[in-house]
Amino acid sequence: MKILGLLWKNLRSGVATLRFPAAPPMTSNYRGLVQFDPARCTGCAMCRFRCTARAITFTAAGKQFTWAYNPGQCTFCGRCVDGCKDHALSQDSNCPPIYVSAGSLRTSYTLQRKTPPPKTQPAPAPANNPSGETL
Amino acid sequence: MNLLTALARFLVFPGLLFAIPAAWFVLWLERKSVALLQQRIGPPFGQPFFDFVKLMGKSTPQRPGVNGIMMRAWPLIAVSASAGAVGLLPVLPLHGGFQGDLILLLALMEIPAICMIVAGFSSRSLFGEIGSAREATLLVSYNLVFLLAAVSIAVSQHSFRLESLAGAPATWWRYLGLIAILICLPAKLHVNPFSLPNAEQEIYSGPMVEYAGFELALWQLSHGLEWIAGVGLVATLAIPPSSHVWLDIAGVLGLGLILVLVISIIAAATARIAIDTTVRFYWQCTIAFAVVAISATLLMRLRS
Repeated sequence: MKILGLLWKNLRSGVATLRFPAAPPMTSNYRGLVQFDPARCTGCAMCRFRCTARAITFTAAGKQFTWAYNPGQCTFCGRCVDGCKDHALSQDSNCPPIYVSAGSLRTSYTLQRKTPPPKTQPAPAPANNPSGETL
Repeated sequence: MNLLTALARFLVFPGLLFAIPAAWFVLWLERKSVALLQQRIGPPFGQPFFDFVKLMGKSTPQRPGVNGIMMRAWPLIAVSASAGAVGLLPVLPLHGGFQGDLILLLALMEIPAICMIVAGFSSRSLFGEIGSAREATLLVSYNLVFLLAAVSIAVSQHSFRLESLAGAPATWWRYLGLIAILICLPAKLHVNPFSLPNAEQEIYSGPMVEYAGFELALWQLSHGLEWIAGVGLVATLAIPPSSHVWLDIAGVLGLGLILVLVISIIAAATARIAIDTTVRFYWQCTIAFAVVAISATLLMRLRS
């Protein structure tokens, strides 16, 4: 008989379905649309390599490269964001927008290839360390 | 009942002209009430009508190896039988009916279920065959109770004429029989917890799996008319007669709506149960209502 109480409660509390364009609140770690920061990207194409859904495409021509993202193909797995060493990619914490025509959310950037920043060299070993190991 | 009255009852009220919009309304009411009980929005008003029009405009795909004439015949027969059953309902007292029309009504109410069984087997689909086998088992399980209850009501008034049954003062034994019929209605209408013949998630609507377009629209219409016939039978026999015809009609319509809501609440509150549990429910539990009703009626008749 508990189910009848539950149904009565449902009836009194009203419809839970949200009408467009209302959207449910997202959690803090929600993985939404991939955001691209062209100022940070060095064009390493690691994101294209890690994207199993083929939502990110990367074409290089000389010193230029084109980075494109199609949210219609994206599974929002976040592997591209995890693999981006330059922190050029992030994920929006809002619900992805509803679109009516295919490819309308597609974004594309054509950028100049940058030289990646030099890797920091390890500190030289002290002279009195016979094994040569760094601490 | 002369020919003109019979035609008016079949075509106008409570027949096709009234019953078809009422069937769409009842289908909408059932879907909407279940949706509201589950905190969903549900379909807009008139959605079953729009579904019907949409399906009528769609073409039926070719079904290789299946007899097309037979497949088209079953929904047509089901709609005709359901409409005939609705036309026999004694909503308007003193306006027709004949001796034995209760038997005809019960027979007409069985035909859509039989058509569904044959349609499932005719479709040569595995899911259709499973659904038809389930429907046949369901038919056997609830009909024992349903027919015993109907006979107990008829015996209590010494008549198989619907008009005299509806016009006679109601007794407690009649209400016991009506409760037994009411318990059978969810199974007859394939709603939860007895929706196993047309289970969408398990067997893709069972016998309906090979139907589309015009034929599926007819099946849906037949289902709506079955609602009207089943609920209408209980409502017409439960409402005691009054001196005003309009009061009787309003009472039947009001009780009919309440019954639709009660069945919808049961559907929303329960989950689909297995076929062996269904048979056990009707043959072990619900049959007590029908047996008590018919035994008491026969005893009362012997005493009088």
